Amino acid sequence: MPEASSLPRPPAAGRIKAALTVALFAALFVLAFRQTGFNFQALFSGTADFFRFFGRLVPDWSALPQIWPPLIQTIQIAYVATIVGSLLAMPIVFLASSNTSTDPVTLWIARTLLTVLRSIPDLLWAALFVAVLGLGALPGVVALVFFTMGVLAKLGSETVEAIDPGPLEALRAAGAGRNRTIVFAVVPQVAATMVSYILYVFEINVRASVVIGLVGAGGIGQLLLRYLNFFDYTGVAAIIVVIFAVVLLIDGFSVWARSKLI
Amino acid sequence: MAHIRFNDVEVVYRTGLKALKGVTLEIPRGQFVVVVGLSGAGKSTLIRTVNSLVVPTKGSVTVNDVNVTASRGGALRRARSDIGMIFQTFNLVKRSSVLRNVLAGRLGDLPAWRGVLGAFPREDVAYAHDCLARVGIPEKAFVRADALSGGQQQRVGIARALAQKPSVMLADEPVASLDPPTSHAVMSDLKRIAREDGITTIVNLHFIDMARDYADRIIGMRDGVVVFDGTPDEATDAVFEEIYGRPLESKDLRGA
Amino acid sequence: MVNAPRIPSDVPRPPAHVRRNRVLMIAGVVLLVALFVLALVTMNLPTWQRFVTGMQRNFMPLMRGLVRPETEVFGLAWRSMSETFFMAILGTALGALLAFPISFFAAGNLLGGTRWALPGKALLVAIRTFPELVLAIIFVAAAGPGPTAGIMAMGIHSIGYLGKVFSDVIEGIDQGPMEAIRAAGGNQLHTFLYSVVPQVLPEFASHVLYRFEINLRAATVLGMVGAGGIGLPLIQRLQFRRWDEVSMLLIVIVGFIIVVDAVSSRVRNRLV
Repeated sequence: MPEASSLPRPPAAGRIKAALTVALFAALFVLAFRQTGFNFQALFSGTADFFRFFGRLVPDWSALPQIWPPLIQTIQIAYVATIVGSLLAMPIVFLASSNTSTDPVTLWIARTLLTVLRSIPDLLWAALFVAVLGLGALPGVVALVFFTMGVLAKLGSETVEAIDPGPLEALRAAGAGRNRTIVFAVVPQVAATMVSYILYVFEINVRASVVIGLVGAGGIGQLLLRYLNFFDYTGVAAIIVVIFAVVLLIDGFSVWARSKLI
Repeated sequence: MAHIRFNDVEVVYRTGLKALKGVTLEIPRGQFVVVVGLSGAGKSTLIRTVNSLVVPTKGSVTVNDVNVTASRGGALRRARSDIGMIFQTFNLVKRSSVLRNVLAGRLGDLPAWRGVLGAFPREDVAYAHDCLARVGIPEKAFVRADALSGGQQQRVGIARALAQKPSVMLADEPVASLDPPTSHAVMSDLKRIAREDGITTIVNLHFIDMARDYADRIIGMRDGVVVFDGTPDEATDAVFEEIYGRPLESKDLRGA
Repeated sequence: MVNAPRIPSDVPRPPAHVRRNRVLMIAGVVLLVALFVLALVTMNLPTWQRFVTGMQRNFMPLMRGLVRPETEVFGLAWRSMSETFFMAILGTALGALLAFPISFFAAGNLLGGTRWALPGKALLVAIRTFPELVLAIIFVAAAGPGPTAGIMAMGIHSIGYLGKVFSDVIEGIDQGPMEAIRAAGGNQLHTFLYSVVPQVLPEFASHVLYRFEINLRAATVLGMVGAGGIGLPLIQRLQFRRWDEVSMLLIVIVGFIIVVDAVSSRVRNRLV
């Protein structure tokens, strides 16, 4: 048996890496606690406050007739934005995929555009367009159009880049141009997946469309904001329950429809 | 005196499948036993009753006169820590280092707090390195298990079992996932170590030639019953055809 | 000899199911378009004119601002964005901490068997469905404005996603190493620590990082309802249409998120 002191030691590189990782995380968390003023006392008292507040959220169902119209508007915003956004995303999908783009410069521009689009969250788009276009459903639609383009074009171009290159080559060999190659070799391969992604984006858009009203972009969120400002918590509770039910319903529909597709 | 004793062991799975139909065997200390039979003959079930990973529905297994079948909780864990086991698919934690995998063999003897913190005593760590040296891969201690070849992974499996300082070793198809030369290397390592440490060993195999090459004693099983029990010399091709219930085929041989 | 060209009536008609699918497809598209038009008409959208004037009056200044952002607010933007970043870190950590135990129950192959799997999964769906921003509003109303409200909203909401993916990982683990630990005489805690945790940890870490990327985006807007971070200074400047300052904030947000995304996805690729 080797002497205890002569035991082989793990390689130095591994030990240094592990130590550095631990140190980095420790530093990040220390900084995080200091910068945000977050502490465990706040966590517990906040949780208690939360549940006390939650207890007061007894839904008042007489608010339902008022909830209906903006709720329908919320779904309409998501629907219109999904369709317009999907159509606008299509050209970007093919320009941002290395196997269908026209040239490296266009590819780079399309990808950069996508990266920027994707880095902006739904609510930020909404706040931006409320400032540009004023309150109402219009900024909501425009915001979600941009949001849809970011999400869908990214998913789409990943799908297009993963297709079987055989048919593409065959069509090119037969003398087809770029557009025809896309229509006859790429679209049939990605159509089902794209439709499933569009349904998925619709699902995301319904969730987003609920909350963008909180910055004035139309729909149920705007009513929620009004109730909150008037401290009408029973109305707030009714809206929350309705939102919950609608999102669950749309999610369920979307999951069902996507399972039918593939 | 028998080291391992099977007393009329019967195993019926919840699905109603009768895997063992009353097996009675005595295995003396230090013997290297190879159990042969087709898949589904009950080989895997048989060796798993020795460490109670499969609990017999009737009968019992004793190791060192301790009734393993009746043991529960801490007593069972103590019994198991005296029985090493090697698996067909190695059953290593692939993302952990080789050393950590071998140290897992020491868990049974470790105080609770050390197990939780992973604070293995220095002598355990030293012993784990020794075990790796004995299976010929001392330099792999700090490599991740999934970076090793199949044969090396099975050697880690043997080292882990060895780290338990066992008196019994169970091996369930240890070479079925390996190529022929590696199979022979792993089997002769296993045999050598069993011989050196006087470990009683039960190995499941379905290769006729390997069974004859390595066994002190061959036990043939068919449909949950022991149909042959004898020396490698007695296990002729005719005997194997009887055990397998069909003419021999080339896939029954591992080859050199 | 070459065959005579077919006359059009000779071309075989597609089989019935192909024709039926074609009809269904056309009906589906017509339905989608009809719903689209109906939505546009009933939504009370303002006139095209207002869209154009709005764009002219405000979009152009915004674009000009993006070219020449107000550098004086860079300090503020940087400070608020780093607060946002740290909020996302704490929110994600909180979510991961809470999701960890729940996921083992929801997985149903380790703890307590399938008994807890269904209620566990249902709880996770319920949490996922609840919009984060609504949670944030409730926290702000209940416990006052500030980063703590945002961190807690993110923490709670992240449980839904992380619990789901964690339990998927757990359901996919290799049971072999667990059997090996048991065979060596290990108890249940040993089995957990020495064969479950090492198997799931790298994948857990990768999912946590991915969730962090999502939470960083969420954290930039939580401030709009008073839950801390860069959202508050941003929405104030949006309300007053200070486009050059808005632009500076936007540039910092987008740049920060792009850099963090790039680093994070690199680390994730190396983890699994």
